[in-house]
Amino acid sequence: MTLVALLVPAAVAAWLLTAGRGLGHRAVNRLAAAASVLTLAAVVLAVVVRPEVDRPWVPSLGLRWHLAVDGVSAPLLLLTAVLGVVVVLHTSDRPPVGGTSAAFHACLLLVELGALATFLARDALLFFVSFEVVLVPMWVLITRFGDAHRPAARADAGGRFVLYTVFGSTLMLVGILTLVSAAGTSDLGELARAAGHGIPASTQLLVAALLVTGLAVKVPVFPLHTWLPPAHTTAPTAGSVLLAAVLLKMGTYGLVRLPLATVPEGFARVAPVLGVLGAVGIVWGGLACLVERDLKRLVAYSSVAHMGFVAIGLASGTQTGLQAALFANVAHGVISALLFIVVGGLKERWGGADLETARAALREVAPRLGFALVVGFAASLGLPGLAGFWGEFLSVYSAWSPAPDRPLALFRSLAVVAALGTVLAAAYAMRVLRTVWAGERTAPAIEDSRHTEWDVVVVLLVATVALGVVPGPLLALTRDTVALLVGAPR
Amino acid sequence: MSAVATFDWVALAPVLAPALGAVLVLVVDAAAPRLVRVHHLLGLVALVAGLAFALPGAATSGRAPLRSVCLPGRAGSCLYEVGPVAAALQLGALGSALVVLLLLWPDRRAALRGGPAVLVSLVLAATAGAAGVAAAHDLGSWLVCLELATLPVVALVALRGTAAAGRGALALLTTSLVSFALVVLGAALWLVATGQAVFDAGAVAGALGDPERRAVLLLGVLLLFAGVGFKLSLVPFHVWTPQAYAGGSEAVAAFLAATSKIAALAALVVVLQPLVAAGAPVLAAVGVVAAVTMTVGNLLALAQDDPVRLLAWSTVAQAGWVLLPLSASSPGSAAASGAYLLAYVVATLVAFVVVHAVSVGGAPRRLAAYTGLLRSRPLLGGALGLALLSLAGLPPGVVGLVAKVVALRPVVAQGQWLLALVAVANAVVGIAVYLRWFAVLLRDPEAQEAPDHGPLGGGVARPVLAALVLSATVLVATSVLPQLLVGLLE
Repeated sequence: MTLVALLVPAAVAAWLLTAGRGLGHRAVNRLAAAASVLTLAAVVLAVVVRPEVDRPWVPSLGLRWHLAVDGVSAPLLLLTAVLGVVVVLHTSDRPPVGGTSAAFHACLLLVELGALATFLARDALLFFVSFEVVLVPMWVLITRFGDAHRPAARADAGGRFVLYTVFGSTLMLVGILTLVSAAGTSDLGELARAAGHGIPASTQLLVAALLVTGLAVKVPVFPLHTWLPPAHTTAPTAGSVLLAAVLLKMGTYGLVRLPLATVPEGFARVAPVLGVLGAVGIVWGGLACLVERDLKRLVAYSSVAHMGFVAIGLASGTQTGLQAALFANVAHGVISALLFIVVGGLKERWGGADLETARAALREVAPRLGFALVVGFAASLGLPGLAGFWGEFLSVYSAWSPAPDRPLALFRSLAVVAALGTVLAAAYAMRVLRTVWAGERTAPAIEDSRHTEWDVVVVLLVATVALGVVPGPLLALTRDTVALLVGAPR
Repeated sequence: MSAVATFDWVALAPVLAPALGAVLVLVVDAAAPRLVRVHHLLGLVALVAGLAFALPGAATSGRAPLRSVCLPGRAGSCLYEVGPVAAALQLGALGSALVVLLLLWPDRRAALRGGPAVLVSLVLAATAGAAGVAAAHDLGSWLVCLELATLPVVALVALRGTAAAGRGALALLTTSLVSFALVVLGAALWLVATGQAVFDAGAVAGALGDPERRAVLLLGVLLLFAGVGFKLSLVPFHVWTPQAYAGGSEAVAAFLAATSKIAALAALVVVLQPLVAAGAPVLAAVGVVAAVTMTVGNLLALAQDDPVRLLAWSTVAQAGWVLLPLSASSPGSAAASGAYLLAYVVATLVAFVVVHAVSVGGAPRRLAAYTGLLRSRPLLGGALGLALLSLAGLPPGVVGLVAKVVALRPVVAQGQWLLALVAVANAVVGIAVYLRWFAVLLRDPEAQEAPDHGPLGGGVARPVLAALVLSATVLVATSVLPQLLVGLLE
């Protein structure tokens, strides 16, 4: 099952890049849609059946194809597979600009493949290799298929994306190698069971620092986030969706899987720093959103703020915090996908995303898009009843009552700052809605969302509401594994 | 017991086959001077035979190497010893020479002077030297083989007959002479210190134990290291590299970048192995040189516009990576270094084959000549793209990524953090180097109507196509199953 989920996108992408180069947009899109639906089916089946694959790949390095599904990875796998279908469907009536349709779809599938492999990997080295798989296709998406008006910005954003993330992942590799040579195994299951037993405290601290720094680039955590706004702004809509909803999750997932699970003692010492940076990210992202003029970039900065909540949840060291982080992860995936599709659609229609330009009020000319935008921003500011609420609420709660070995005063003040951050979120959401949605202007008129774009938006809207109204199933899905990770014997 | 040495001819065959081939080619040329293609055929046969004979060596384990030219007396004093690392390097040297020979296949232009016989014979002689130095187990044969691997290359560069080739050959010749002087002096000091010409960990340990002999030995090793550093283009002994590469034809540059590098590394490994076993303190110097080399190479590669010069500087940078694991005195570091070298050789050969094919078409030696290669000549573009990504260490060039893991592992395991951090920074800069070229491949082809290049890279001569298919197949196979390459050295 898991292998099917990986082989289908790999095979179709390889075929598109070689033999399928000449196909027209429609045929390519149908094929990619079929592949992503098949992948989704395989992932759903894998989440239900929980199969395990374990074969040697590079025995000399101890690198194995060890794939499995558990409560931490299942939601992210489902999210990735669903968004894999979403982005392909979303592309169906907008042929990519800048290159062949086959290459575009192959890149989408390869990103999906890399993300799925990352979430499935149960071997630290395989995790690293999968982590790197997404880089080149995403780079191609940004530099080839991004914002057609600004070639220099595309090259800059793509280069920045790759170089930053490679720096992070190579640091992570050093951390992984240190961990593997100290523990004598690269099996993530065994490493988590051992939970750092037998590794000296100083080594644990070093490993945790390397891993957290490396992964923080991908998340991104505050001072390392500067690659994200340009990448999101210039990427094509499908690329932005994958970046925000899938690639950032690889970072947070890595934080759970690697430092938190394998070197808990070291992570406990790094956690306050991570928490503080998360809080700074929340405030910084919020403030940036208050003054940002480019709507797409604004949504990107709001991602930095949301990831700050995830970082605080992870840093708190409690089961609630970890569950909050995982929930916020998935919620942010859905919300940011929704927002990027809506905002990307608006940018196409407007021919730009500058908020200062006077435009027709969405409420008047494009009620569907307007509605989606309102729901997206409402969810983003953490309104109860929508997806964003639970993750942020629980994350603040967990920071208020962190694990006993965390500095209480510090985490309480982090909770206060994070709570203030939600106020900032409300402020920038209102700012955007006032400029874009409200008002009386009706010219220049734009076309409202229809056909597949609207279908996709509806799916994401339903998911946003569903996660907000019934958070139970998702929390239940992650509960057992989280208890295992946090409750592991020290 | 007989007084003469005992020979195992089969074990010697990987060296003897190309050496005999070199002589045979000259004999045939003397007998029938008009022949053109026979020499190349003979050369190919000799190299294939060498490859076949080198295979058994790769199947040996480290503890029971194949031995030949054994002196009477105590066991272990054999002048020729093939373990897995040596056999893998022999395979690499012979295989890369095979590809180079295909590139040198006589065409209508008859580019090089001296006729095909001299050319083939020079390539074969240098290859025999490279294969020999990997297996040399005493100072005498080590010196002879090392020079045999170097001097014919000077002639190969000079044979092109242009002014640039003359300058390149002169730079190479001067370098070789200086390096020879250093190496001979070093060898003499080694002999004085250890009291025997055979490389033997016991004798080295004895010399290290005695403070007076220890100083002599370390000085000798430093000189040997400097001498070999010239050949491996380590900073500060690298200055000849770009000149010689740019002066020679692409095929000769490929030979310099692949076969000669293997010879140099093999020479270094042979010398360092007894030192590693004896725990000598020279390895810190190796680390410093590795760090400086990769940094200088990458930074200068970043500024090049001539693809051959870019590859030349990239060779310097990669030499630093090759050296990296040797700075950690662990038993696996020679194998790690060899694995990195072989991965680099495969990728760089593919790149050179494509550069050769493109410049045969009359394109100028500038990166701009590769604009849109992926679209206009997919086979060439695809192969070059994969090679560049392998050199950068990004999937889908998995072999490059695995090689980076292999090279970093001993360094991290030894806790050389500073070195590891320099390597991380260089991984990032290296990616910038290769992505810069890759981005050019990815652009739209220029508007001019391309000649009838079919998808199979039409306009490429058949031997070049064979070289491309051969090297690219190895690259793809090792990317899918890196164990094929990494496992060779265990």
